Amino acid sequence: MSNANVNELGSSSLQRPQVRPLTRMMIVASIALIGVGAAPFFMDAYSVNVLVRSMIYAAIALSVDILWGYLGVLTFGQSAFFAVGAYATALVFTYGGFSAEYAFAALLIGIAVAVALAGLVAFLAFWHGASALYASVITLVLPIIVTQLLFSGGTYTGSSSGLTGFDTIPLSSEAWFWAVGVWLVVLTTVAWMYTRSDAGRLLTAIRENEQRCKYLGLNTSNIKAVIFLICAAIGAIAGWMYANYTMVVAPEIAGFTFGTELLIWVALGGRGTLFGPVIGTIIIDYASAHLQGDFPFVWKLAIGIVFVSVIVALPRGILPLVSNAANWLRGRIGIAQPQQYSQLQLRQASRSGRNIIGFESRGPALVVRGVEKRFGSLEVLSGIDFEATYGEIVSLVGPNGAGKTTLMTCIADGSKRSGGRISIAGHDIAHRPPEECVRLGVGRKFQMANVFDSLTVGECLQIARARLDPLSKWQKSGVCNLPPSAMHVVRATGLHSDLNVPAQVLSHGKKQALELAMVLALEPKVVLLDEPTAGLTKAERTLIGTILTELARTEQLCILLVEHDLDFVREISSRVIVLHQGRIVLNGSVDEVVNSELVKSVYAGSGH
Amino acid sequence: MKEPMKKISVLLAITALWAGSAVAEDHPIVLGIPVGLSGANSVVAPSVIQATELAVSEINDTGGLLNRKLVVEVADDASGAAGAQKAYDSLVFQKKVDAIIAMETTAARNAGLPIITRGQIPYIYTSFYEGASCNKYQHIDAWVPQQMVSLMVDYFMKDHGAKTFFLVGSDYAFGRGLLGDTNKYIAEKGGTLVGEEYNPMDATDWTAIVSKIRATNPDAIITSTAAGAPNVTFTKQLRSAGITANYGSYALDEGTAKTLGPDAEGIYLGGTYYTGIESEKNAQFLKALHAKFGEKTETPNELSVPQYDAVHLYALAVKNAGTTDTDAVVKALSEVTFDGPRGPVKMSKQRHAPLTMYLAQVNAQGDTKIIKSYANVDPGEQCPKL
Amino acid sequence: MVPVLLDLITTAAILYIVSSGLLLVFGVMKLINFAHGGLMTLGGYAAVMATAMGLNPWIGIPLAAIFGGIVGLGMERVVVRSLYNRPLDAILATWGLSIIIGQIITLVFDRGVHFAEPPIRGVINILGEPYSTYRLILTALALLLGLGLTAALRGTSLGLSTRAVIMNEDLARGLGINSGLVRSITFTLGSGLAAVAGALITPLSSVDPNMGVAWLISAFMLVLVSGSSLFSLAVASVVLGGAQVVVSNYFGSVLGGMTIAVLAAVILRIRPQGFSYE
Repeated sequence: MSNANVNELGSSSLQRPQVRPLTRMMIVASIALIGVGAAPFFMDAYSVNVLVRSMIYAAIALSVDILWGYLGVLTFGQSAFFAVGAYATALVFTYGGFSAEYAFAALLIGIAVAVALAGLVAFLAFWHGASALYASVITLVLPIIVTQLLFSGGTYTGSSSGLTGFDTIPLSSEAWFWAVGVWLVVLTTVAWMYTRSDAGRLLTAIRENEQRCKYLGLNTSNIKAVIFLICAAIGAIAGWMYANYTMVVAPEIAGFTFGTELLIWVALGGRGTLFGPVIGTIIIDYASAHLQGDFPFVWKLAIGIVFVSVIVALPRGILPLVSNAANWLRGRIGIAQPQQYSQLQLRQASRSGRNIIGFESRGPALVVRGVEKRFGSLEVLSGIDFEATYGEIVSLVGPNGAGKTTLMTCIADGSKRSGGRISIAGHDIAHRPPEECVRLGVGRKFQMANVFDSLTVGECLQIARARLDPLSKWQKSGVCNLPPSAMHVVRATGLHSDLNVPAQVLSHGKKQALELAMVLALEPKVVLLDEPTAGLTKAERTLIGTILTELARTEQLCILLVEHDLDFVREISSRVIVLHQGRIVLNGSVDEVVNSELVKSVYAGSGH
Repeated sequence: MKEPMKKISVLLAITALWAGSAVAEDHPIVLGIPVGLSGANSVVAPSVIQATELAVSEINDTGGLLNRKLVVEVADDASGAAGAQKAYDSLVFQKKVDAIIAMETTAARNAGLPIITRGQIPYIYTSFYEGASCNKYQHIDAWVPQQMVSLMVDYFMKDHGAKTFFLVGSDYAFGRGLLGDTNKYIAEKGGTLVGEEYNPMDATDWTAIVSKIRATNPDAIITSTAAGAPNVTFTKQLRSAGITANYGSYALDEGTAKTLGPDAEGIYLGGTYYTGIESEKNAQFLKALHAKFGEKTETPNELSVPQYDAVHLYALAVKNAGTTDTDAVVKALSEVTFDGPRGPVKMSKQRHAPLTMYLAQVNAQGDTKIIKSYANVDPGEQCPKL
Repeated sequence: MVPVLLDLITTAAILYIVSSGLLLVFGVMKLINFAHGGLMTLGGYAAVMATAMGLNPWIGIPLAAIFGGIVGLGMERVVVRSLYNRPLDAILATWGLSIIIGQIITLVFDRGVHFAEPPIRGVINILGEPYSTYRLILTALALLLGLGLTAALRGTSLGLSTRAVIMNEDLARGLGINSGLVRSITFTLGSGLAAVAGALITPLSSVDPNMGVAWLISAFMLVLVSGSSLFSLAVASVVLGGAQVVVSNYFGSVLGGMTIAVLAAVILRIRPQGFSYE
């Protein structure tokens, strides 16, 4: 292939001139700002007061949406960070008095404490092997502890009565309305730009399939932790505003109940939509200010019923329902805008060389020595010994339950095996988690096509490259650099004309090809392929086979393949390893294995 | 048992009708009543609203105030700070009430006071509290720790020869404040404190504290647990452990004592109002309350009667001042006396009121009987700067 | 020392009773029923109704089981069933159901505290120390509950199916076990147990619309560290409940109140499978 960049426009690229999303967002933001500016002139003092608070709540709801709606971290604890910001402010003003410097200091202290606390929570909640439920549990414990600490602060924190009577930034309600309104619009806009950017799509990728992200070499725990810290800071800033505006703090703002109320607002507005939670929070909080007094229990009952219904029937919330209805209406009156996906350009990457090993390194690509794997007393693998070199295609065969996939897992994730040693290109993988094994040069394709269903093909490829080509944090770069091997797969399988298509609508074969391309985008040395041809048509299988042999030859990849289709194995393998009941029973050339009585009996014995 | 809800909606409807019909007349004087229609205080809220309604109709039946009608605006504070802010905002800035009379938690009051300051209207707080809340628009017609502590401790020491005390509270400002004062008072009087324990507000398990009480075997236990659940859970767990020491509670009320059944027997209560007060004023009050609300009458209590007194005190102050102007009314509020069911109330001591204090005991039937009363108990130094 | 020991044992027993329904649901369905607290409240009000109707207080317990079971079955059919593949959403939806239960109870009764006659009063002497009879009875009941559930799981065909679903649902379904039915029955049983726990704690607790919610977090944490084993739950109840009693005794009740949540979170961080031995 030449060095020239290859431009590939998606087939669904649009001919008609369009208002670009960024421009559209800027228009929306401008209108919102004008609205914020004008609103106090048309509202009574009461509504202004209530809306200032609603908008502050909307800002924390936004942070909950980023965590839950985008990143998939169900947090009950965002209220704790809000309280930290608010109490920092109240304590500074109560014990230090008000001054502009103190106001600024209070903001910084609030953010610092919230971020430190979030760091502790992140350390506990996000680590390799932590489940989503466990992270939620930690965020549930957080507000409980913070509330108890506030109670036990005695007169210092005002215990259950909270703190009041401190002077704060002397602004009128209208001025607060403008300040909070502008902040909310800016925050929402920035969050919108971030979540739509290449890096923002990564959040969705983690939510959808954290495991795949790890096997793409991404330290998802760190990414989650960073986003969590940022959201804690947003919560603390909102708390600072709240304390300044209302001049009172009470322990209930730290509590689990407020934490779940935030989730209710976000769920009703529409998780993962940013606008939904913001608008939803403002509407629900404003309405409850008016209705709760008249119908206290019925109002809460109604909220409960709507909440349960939305979770069950409309998991994406109410906003998407509204926007779908609007689209439908537009369709009816003939001004339909076709679903718009941004265009993506594929470019050939220069070799990044960021993998730990150099291209020139010699010796075996993969060494497996005495590897064992036990589940309790059950021995799944024992005494596995073999080597594989660059440019070799080694097939692992054996009946179901022989331990093939387990062996793959042990090679790609250092923490999985019970004993033995594995090294990749001369580096011991020790107990490295998958994302670090990727850095050593391991690429793994899973048995079931494992891609990010709600992302486009192009986005999937970008995320696969994220480790090597840092993603833009504020825009869609529209570019994806792929190494020749991945580019070859994309072109050969026709994926280049599907770049803007969501991965979930791809055919099974193309999903398999996409995952293969994603793995190759990692520029691996050792590629682990778990049944890459399962469920493919004959033609597709042949294509994949050709590609693999080419790659092994031209890129000097070491390919380890799990296969059931012995014809396919025969066509492409340079060597075959037969596993049976967790042991290697044969390791030899294709002919040796195919003609082996032992292999026949193994397969016959297991009913194949 | 849907009564409370219906009652509230009926009351609200009446209020709305009044407000509606009053527009036609010379504009009425509007009292704002923020109260916990939802949340913890919703248990007492109906009785507080009834007490308010009764006082308002008594005043209107005798010609209103300054030839204007008195009407009320009720707002739910959800029994907490955030709700109180909304309620106060609504009353002060949207409904533009002339004064606010509030039975609320301390957190709610604290949240509301800055709004009162901004709105500059007279404010009467009608719940007993930990003391020393000072705002130039505020008066308080309920008891503070200084008035309560001596009552209980003196009784246990003199009448029961108690020497060792165990204090139990919910971990919140009021609980800690009240027991802190009790602690000091016991030391002053030569008693011995054998334990002082606090449980979180939302705690349901008192096992460890009950164990300590059993181990120290005090002559008397004094509690300042939060209203509602903590009172009940503590009492049940104490009684199930078979502890029979003298037990005095600052926080238990007549109604809750009833729901405890036999477990409440023998508990000493302290306060300024019990339905059993034998006075003509109280008899009149109870009669009027039953006449107005019939079967739906909520038992009046320590929180609803001060509210009744406060409405009358406000009316007297407006009459004295001859205007609803804030400064004049606030000044007059310190000077007027209302002789109500609790006895004479005058908020003359640094915005607080010397009160008649009662010591009562729950009998085997769950009824609360007054055993002692102390007239004109001084609230002490609360707001020396006002 | 004897009273502390008795406190420790009885506290563990109460926690065991309160958590076992939640554990059953978590074990079989792998989802957390946040309506557990609301169902406990419902059970508490069953006891109140038994008292109001002048029945023997012990009758309140089967009454609670029936209430809880019926409501649980309804919840499973209408809401929970569609959330099997969304465990985090199931937490939220059941929390919403808990709000609904609480508000309906508030509307039917009121926000206040209600009276339920305790089945038994008084104390008996244990090793020279007078101790609450009812707490000791609860301990016996906890033992019976644990043994009964274990026997049901091991001795009945439904129990066998349930254990199969706990171990490997796909495989169980492949073997012709109607896992949907197992789930329905489990949820109904778990809800019934929650309500029974609510009725059983009324002699020690206030009966108000929030009574169960205070127990939810402790129960939740205990279940998480126990996995899906009734035996692990017993161990967890003794260890964490014991820690709570000890911390409350020697370091104050505020810290005691946090003990279970904090310890459970730390245990899970160090050993994700908690007390379960698998």
